[in-house]
Amino acid sequence: MKAKAKSLKKNAPAIPILVWIGFLVGVPLIFVVVLSFLSRDNLGNIVFKFSLDNYKRMFDPIYLRVFANSFLLAILTGFITLIIGYPVAYFTTRLKAKKRSFVTALIVLPFWVSSLLRTYGWVILLGKTGLINNVLVGLNIIDQPLNMMYKFSTTLIGTAYMLIPFMIIAVYNSVDKLDRSLLEASYDLGAGKWKTFFNITLPLTIPGISGGFTLVFIPSLGMFFVSDLLGGGRTVFLGNLINTQVTRGRNRPLAAAFSVGMIVLVVLVLLIYNRVTKNKGRELF
Amino acid sequence: MQGPLLSIKNINKYYGDSHILKDVSLDINDGEFLTLLGPSGCGKTTLLRCIAGLENIQSGDILLKGRSIKNLAPNKRSVNTVFQNYALFPHMNVYDNVAYGPRIKKSFKGEALEEKVAQVLELVQMTGFEKRMPDQLSGGQMQRVAIARALINEPDILLLDEPLGALDLKLRKYMQTELAHLQKRAKTTFVYVTHDQEEALNMSDRIVVIHKGKILQQGSPREIYNNPSNLFVADFIGDRNILKVSIIDKDQKYFTIKVGNTTVKVRYSRSHTYESDQALLAVHMDKMKISCQNGANSIQGEVLSIHYAGSQVRTELSVGGEKFTVIEYQNNDCDYKIGDLVFISWEETGALILPMEDIEESES
Amino acid sequence: MDKRVSAIRTFYLSLFFIVLYIPVLSVILYSFNKSPSTAQWTGFTLDWYRDLFRDRVIVESLKISVQVAVLTSILSAILGTATSIVSMYVTRKMEKTIRGIMLLPLLVPEVALGISLLIFFTALKLPFGILTLVLSHSLFCVPYVYIMVQLRLKEINKSIFEAAKDLGATRGQIIRTIILPLVTPSIITSSLLALAISLDDVIISTYMSGPTSTTLPVHIFSMMRVGVTPKINALCTLILVGTFFIVGLSQLFNKKVL
Repeated sequence: MKAKAKSLKKNAPAIPILVWIGFLVGVPLIFVVVLSFLSRDNLGNIVFKFSLDNYKRMFDPIYLRVFANSFLLAILTGFITLIIGYPVAYFTTRLKAKKRSFVTALIVLPFWVSSLLRTYGWVILLGKTGLINNVLVGLNIIDQPLNMMYKFSTTLIGTAYMLIPFMIIAVYNSVDKLDRSLLEASYDLGAGKWKTFFNITLPLTIPGISGGFTLVFIPSLGMFFVSDLLGGGRTVFLGNLINTQVTRGRNRPLAAAFSVGMIVLVVLVLLIYNRVTKNKGRELF
Repeated sequence: MQGPLLSIKNINKYYGDSHILKDVSLDINDGEFLTLLGPSGCGKTTLLRCIAGLENIQSGDILLKGRSIKNLAPNKRSVNTVFQNYALFPHMNVYDNVAYGPRIKKSFKGEALEEKVAQVLELVQMTGFEKRMPDQLSGGQMQRVAIARALINEPDILLLDEPLGALDLKLRKYMQTELAHLQKRAKTTFVYVTHDQEEALNMSDRIVVIHKGKILQQGSPREIYNNPSNLFVADFIGDRNILKVSIIDKDQKYFTIKVGNTTVKVRYSRSHTYESDQALLAVHMDKMKISCQNGANSIQGEVLSIHYAGSQVRTELSVGGEKFTVIEYQNNDCDYKIGDLVFISWEETGALILPMEDIEESES
Repeated sequence: MDKRVSAIRTFYLSLFFIVLYIPVLSVILYSFNKSPSTAQWTGFTLDWYRDLFRDRVIVESLKISVQVAVLTSILSAILGTATSIVSMYVTRKMEKTIRGIMLLPLLVPEVALGISLLIFFTALKLPFGILTLVLSHSLFCVPYVYIMVQLRLKEINKSIFEAAKDLGATRGQIIRTIILPLVTPSIITSSLLALAISLDDVIISTYMSGPTSTTLPVHIFSMMRVGVTPKINALCTLILVGTFFIVGLSQLFNKKVL
């Protein structure tokens, strides 16, 4: 009894902070959940009657396809950023101090560039009259300009491009912490560079990989401006869906339901992440 | 002043289930240099921190000048600590570090403060370093600033937690003498923690040997060195050979014991009780002499190896099947080689008999 | 063997960085194009930049963005630092809880967060505009301040606090004389980071803007949806310059990258 009173006294100063965040995050989320069980009438007003309609509609093939699209986009983004980003991180850790900080700065710099700018850059590059086509046609490599915009892959490129710094940083931290003497021990015992990589380096950097994957997966689910600008709205993703339901569709309850669906997806991913890095010293930061 | 300055009475301390300090009682006298000596993990630092108020005690009491301080927060006790890694404030220069205590407690201001800082810096011989930042100081200099920072508050007791641990050997030896002199100049009671027995023997007025949370022995360096009360203290302080022997006879002054095949006499110490005729012979490695001739009261041994280490000659022998080391500082007339049988004798004060203990038990 | 690896490394990294920076550089490049279309390069001009300053809407939304960003930055600095310091003094369980709650806004996708705040603020009948913008921006900026201050706090040798206690300092004095001076560089860096994040935010700002106050990114986004014109390029380039200025400032205070 005494111990409980003691820790309560110790924790008292934390209460205002918990209230603040709880209020700003917890309460709105509760509102969203509640709203997802309501519906709207023809005039756009909220009808306060418990209904599972929104969730039933979610299982409509059209909407399930949206979930699938987003899930696919997120997973592919994860893999692409991993395959491209892992070597970048690995090579960077092997650089010597001065070069290393220079390269690290270069990796982090885009992070500071406006995300709209970074997406817009691809619009400029990939358009029918964009830079890439201009160069290719101008050099007579191709006759007709390539049609690269407004596809699933376009959105994928844009999303991966946007999020790759996260993956690189997560993997970098993990590889950097690797004890070099483990690698040396592996060489000493006769393993070549590839074997050492697959048996030692890769398994030991799984925390970094999972962290990176999580950091990349979650935002991919919700970046509707990328799919808007690069995908042209031809493929519908979860972010777009929610957005249009709120703005054009004026159906906030439905949007709320989809948001809940998205959050559930995120929670699942986080649980998986927790599982994978249970005893392996996970540190997202 | 009547009575001891600090009185620790029957304190117990637990970390979760670990019983760190077991019913520890100790009196500390005004003006003395007291060392808490023991191996890592024995509880000496914990004891120090209990005095400082940085740790709680679960039972018992601590009295400073007769009044209980066990419930006082560290910033209310007139006790100051010098930390192992000095813990100088990295964003303040030497002057501000030293002036921190008085400024916080508003005990000195303006010119009076300046004077005090100057005084205490002179005491530790760091005058002129006022504007330097901690990262511009060497280890020894940082340590002196840390001491000045503590002493300026005129504490009743200064606690030092292995302050010389991070210094190289030569500097450490120098600082040992410096600190001992400093203590006398400052006229403050020092309570010093170390695991280095040589350090303790060099600096202290009184040593308290701690092992596994208990006080095993306390006394002057000479007492502890010559008359260890048990196997652990005998083994920990000074380099000694420990051999199992049988007691054959005893009289007013001597034991007669059997070592291997020889019979030899060892002085009798009244401070122990002997329950059986099995006992332990504890001999200082550097109070023996090797000779080719059999003398009175010698034991015999076979030379296993000879090492020359600068001023020392270290000879390892086999005595009755057990390993025996002799350290000599002078050339020996007897020119012995590996495999020879030689005779070993010792000064009377260099050897004693301890009651038999389970050797494994006291080592763990 | 090492030389070959080194060559591969240089090649891969160079290729990577080229691809990484081309989109950005193209935007900058075409901001100077006389032709409104990217199909041809008809000459170098600063006209598009001049157009920007005459555009009322852009200037207004910039003002709003800056106001929101500055207020967010200050609010986040205070809250983030306070939370960091408080978590030093609470029980370990509570520290973990605080950490979890602090990181929560970063884990929820912005769309979901935006929608929930939209619904919530509507229900509270709050006026949409600077107030809602600052509140919502702070929500995801405070965690950054918290994280960076936490990192700095962890680096500090714990015995310094004990030494201060030993010398007589109360908790308040320790915070004032020891903790705050030592974490100030981190506070400044993370506040500038919060400034940049707030200026750049699109998704949440879309929902939190009011009828008379949209932020610049929201406006740019709608411009981009209409079509490609070098005016957008010019605007983006200027924002780039502005952001780098902020980054440069923050580097002055903190030698580390991010």
